[in-house]
Amino acid sequence: MSDGQRAIDKLRDVIYQCNRCAHCFDLSWLGDYNKCPAYRFGVFESYTGRGRFFLARALVDGKTDYTAEIAQRVFACTECRACAEHCFKYISTTDVYAAMKEDLAARDLLPPRLAAGLADAGGLGEYHNVYQGSQEDRLAWLPDRSRVDKKAEVVFFVGCTSAYARQNMALDLYALLEQAGIDFTIMSDEWCCGHPYLAGGQMGKARASIQHTLDAVEKLGAKQLVFNCPGCQRAFRDDWTELTGQAAPFEAVHVIELLAERLKQGEIAMKRFRPKTMITYHDPCVLGRWMGIYDAPRELIKAIPGANLVEMPRNRRDAYCCGAGGMIRYDFEAMANLAGADRIAEAEATGAEMILSACPACVMQLQQSRQRAKSRLKVMDITQLLASQLQPLRAKR
Amino acid sequence: MSSLIEELAAICGAEYVSDKMVDRLCHTRDAGPTPGGVPAVVVRPRTTAQVSEIVRAANRHATPIFVWGRSTTFIGHGIQTGCILLALDLMSQIVRMDFDNHAVTVETGAIWHAVDIELAKRGWELAVPGSGGMFVCTVGGSVAYNSVPHGLAGYGMTGDNVIALEVVLPNGDVIYTGSAGNRAAGGLAFERYANGPDIAGLFIGSCGVFGVITQVTYRIRRKPDAERFAFYAFDSSDVALDAAQALQRRQVPTHMVGLFGGPKPTGLTGEAFLHIVVRDTPAGADERVSAAHAICAGYNGVRQDEAATERYWVHHMYSWLRNTPPEVYYSDRPYTCPEAAAFMPTQNVKDALRYLKNYEVEHAAEFAQHGIRIKCYDVYFSRNAAFLWIDTLFPELDAAAWQYGLKMRADYSEHLFSQFASPGGILAPLAPHIMPKLGSGFDFLRVLKAQLDPNGILNPGVLLLGKGEAK
Ligand SMILES: Cc1cc2nc3c(=O)[nH]c(=O)nc-3n(C[C@H](O)[C@H](O)[C@H](O)COP(=O)(O)OP(=O)(O)OC[C@H]3O[C@@H](n4cnc5c(N)ncnc54)[C@H](O)[C@@H]3O)c2cc1C
Ligand code: SF4
Ligand code: SF4
Repeated sequence: MSDGQRAIDKLRDVIYQCNRCAHCFDLSWLGDYNKCPAYRFGVFESYTGRGRFFLARALVDGKTDYTAEIAQRVFACTECRACAEHCFKYISTTDVYAAMKEDLAARDLLPPRLAAGLADAGGLGEYHNVYQGSQEDRLAWLPDRSRVDKKAEVVFFVGCTSAYARQNMALDLYALLEQAGIDFTIMSDEWCCGHPYLAGGQMGKARASIQHTLDAVEKLGAKQLVFNCPGCQRAFRDDWTELTGQAAPFEAVHVIELLAERLKQGEIAMKRFRPKTMITYHDPCVLGRWMGIYDAPRELIKAIPGANLVEMPRNRRDAYCCGAGGMIRYDFEAMANLAGADRIAEAEATGAEMILSACPACVMQLQQSRQRAKSRLKVMDITQLLASQLQPLRAKR
Repeated sequence: MSSLIEELAAICGAEYVSDKMVDRLCHTRDAGPTPGGVPAVVVRPRTTAQVSEIVRAANRHATPIFVWGRSTTFIGHGIQTGCILLALDLMSQIVRMDFDNHAVTVETGAIWHAVDIELAKRGWELAVPGSGGMFVCTVGGSVAYNSVPHGLAGYGMTGDNVIALEVVLPNGDVIYTGSAGNRAAGGLAFERYANGPDIAGLFIGSCGVFGVITQVTYRIRRKPDAERFAFYAFDSSDVALDAAQALQRRQVPTHMVGLFGGPKPTGLTGEAFLHIVVRDTPAGADERVSAAHAICAGYNGVRQDEAATERYWVHHMYSWLRNTPPEVYYSDRPYTCPEAAAFMPTQNVKDALRYLKNYEVEHAAEFAQHGIRIKCYDVYFSRNAAFLWIDTLFPELDAAAWQYGLKMRADYSEHLFSQFASPGGILAPLAPHIMPKLGSGFDFLRVLKAQLDPNGILNPGVLLLGKGEAK
C-alpha cells in the first residue's frame, strides 16, 4: 500500500454489509459455548468480529483513525475464522482484519513483540524463522543428508516449528514419507513460508519469503510440496494466489491429504493400536475453516483398529481455536493460554485419552496447555501416530 | 466523568470498565439503520449487586445509562452520547432448571437458544423457541423488548411465558415479581400472578425504561412428540388471509407465517403463501394438519412441498420461508433493513397490504432511483391477530438512499399506527410515531417514569420517556 492509501478503504462496501447481528461470537446451537477466543479473553466487544466491524466502519466513515488501541484489538485475534464461518451475511471477516493489519503495519503500529519478531534486524527478516535459530541448524534433526537438495518431484517442506521447536515431528514425518514409499527431497535453503508476515500485515515481505521458496523449488524441478503445517501449506496454496493473482507452480498438499488418498486407494493400511484408546481430534483452524480439510484426518484415525474417535462438542467448522494462531503468543500470551486451557478441558471432558491434531503449532500449544493444566491427556500430531501405525501394502508410484 | 469511572471500576473491577474510544465505538447502535451517540464508558457487571451499585452511581452523577443485551434489534437503539453503556452479556448463567415447576431461571445475558439447547438435552424446551434472533439475543433483552417469537400462534408472545423477574429499579433497589416476590416464603419463582398486581408486565416490552432485568424465570415444557408441516399457495392475499383466519378460528397452527410481498418462494407461483407448523401429540398433530389441508383446500389453496416449512422451523432461518438456502439469501447485499412492524387484526392486513402496494406504485421512481428492494411483507399470526413485518432493503452506503429508507419507515409507521395497527417493541426511532397517539396512556407512562426514575437515568428517550441528551 503506497503512502496515504489505506487497504481498509477498498473494503468499504464489504464493511457496510455487516448488519451487527452478533452471529460471530457465540455458538448457541451447542449450548453455552463461545466461538471467539479473542472475546473470551478480552471481555469487551471490540475483540469480537462485530466489534472489529464497528471499528472498521468508524475508520472508513472517518470517525476515527488508526491508533495503538485499535492495533491492540486487531492483533488480539488468532485468525481462527470462526467469525467468518458463522457470519450471518457470509462476509469473509478476516479480509477486513487483514486490511486493518496491513494499514497498522504501514503506520508502525504493530504490537511491540510482534514487531520485534518480524524485524529485519534480529527477527524473522534476519533469521528466516520465527525461533531465531541459525540457518545451519534448520536441518540439524536430519539423520543423514542423502535427501537434501536431490532432484525429486516431491519436496517435504519442513517448516520452522518442526525444524527448530518440535524436531521429533520432522523426524516422524520423514519416516512416514519413507514408509509410504514417496520419493522426496528436502531443501537446504528453506525459509519461513511467509505466514507470520501475513499475520503481521507485512504483505511485501510475505511475498518475498514465498518467492524465495518458489525459486528454490523451481531449481529442484519439484511438482509437489508436502507439509505437516497447514499455515505453511496455505501460504503456497492460497495466499500466494491472493497476493499475486497467480497460482504457485506446484501443488501444495498436507501429508494427511496424501495419506487419506492412499488409504482410499488401498495402498496403505494401519496396524492395530493397543490398548484400545479413545482419541479426540482438534481441527487446526487453518486446515479446517481456512482450507476446508475436515474429513482426511478423521478417515485416517478411524482406519486405525483400536483407535476410537470421539468428537469434542466444538468440532469441524465449529471447532474452538487452541490459541496458537495469529502469532498472538508474542503480545497476548494470556489469551493464547486461556484458549489452550479451554480446549484441553473440552478434550478431557470427552473422556478421550489422547488428543491429536494435524499442525505442529497446534500440537505445541496443546502440549504446553496440557502441562499447565497438569492434564493426563496425551497430545500428538496425527503424523506422529501414523508413523508407528502405517503399513504400506503396495510398492509406491 | 473520571470520578464516575473510578466508582464504576471500584464496583465491577477495573478490567470490566472501559472509557477507551476503541470500546465505546463498538456500542453505538443496534442492527437497525439509525446510528446513536457514543457512550462515555462501557461497563460489564457480573452480578445483580453490581448492577444495582452502577445504577446508584449513575444517579449520583446524573449520567444516564443505556442497557445493552446483545443489541440485535433492527430498529435503532437511541443510545445517547455521554451515557454509561451497561452491557449485560457477562451475566449469562443458567441459575436453576426447575422441572417440578416447569420453570428455568437464567441471568439476563444468557443467549436464548443456548438455554433451549441445555433444556433439550433433558427433553424439555423453553415455552417459545425465541425470535428469529434466538441464536444471538439475550433472554433479558428479548423480554425487555417483548420480541415476537416463533410459535406465536400456539405459545403466545415472549412476555406471555415469563413467570418472574428480578429487576433493578432506577433507584438501584432490587425487586422480584410474582411468587418470587414473597421473600418470607423463600422467593420461589413458579407463578407470575401471585402477590397482587402483575408487576412483571411493567417491565415486559418497556425496553429498559423502568428497570434493568437481571434474572428471568421462564416457562418450560416437555418437547412435544410430533411436529407436522403444511405449505400452501393462494391466488390472492385476501383469500390467503381469509384462510389464515379460518385456521386461527380452529386453533390449528402452533406457528403460522404468511408471505404477502417480497420475492416469491423459489420456483413457485401464486400471490400469497402460508407456512403452517403444528406441534402436538402424534394423533393431535395429525388431526390438526388434516384440518389445515381441508381449510386451505376450501380457499383454493395449492399444496406445496412442506419440506421448506420444516427446514424453516428446524433451522429458524427466514430464507427457507422462500425456499432458499441462507447462503444465497443473505450473502449479496450491502443493504440494511429499517424494520417497521405492527400488530393488527387479521382482516386489516388486507388494508395494510393495499396501502403498501400502492406506496410501491406511487413511489416507483424513487424506489428505482435508490435501489430499494422489498424483502418481505410477512405476517406472523398470533392466536387471534396478525403481526406484519415490513422489511425494505436499501443500500446504506448511499446516503440519499439511506435517508429515503428512513422516510419510508416514517411514512409506513405514521399511516399504519393512525389506522388499525400498533407496534410491538418500541425503540427510539419508532417512539415519535406511536407514543403521542396513546393519549392518556402516554401520560400514565410519563407519570410512572417520573416517579420511578426522576433523574431520567434509565434508557432516556426510548419510548419518548425520560430526559433528552446526556450531559
Ligand atoms: C437474525 C435476526 C432475526 C430476528 N428476528 C426477530 C423476530 O422474529 N422477532 C422479533 O421480535 N425480533 C427479531 N429480531 C430482533 C432481536 O433479536 C430480538 O428482538 C431480541 O429480542 C433482542 O434481544 P437483545 O438481547 O439483542 O436485546 P437488545 O437489542 O440489547 O435490547 C432490546 C431493548 O431492551 C433493552 N434491554 C436489553 N436488555 C435489558 C435488560 N436486561 N433489562 C432491561 N432492558 C433491557 C435495551 O436497552 C433495548 O432497548 C431478530 C434479530 C436478528 C439478528
Ligand atoms: S478470527 Fe477468531 S479470534 Fe479473530 S475475531 Fe474471528 S473468531 Fe475471534
Ligand atoms: S455475523 Fe457477520 S454480519 Fe453479523 S455482526 Fe458478525 S460480521 Fe457482522
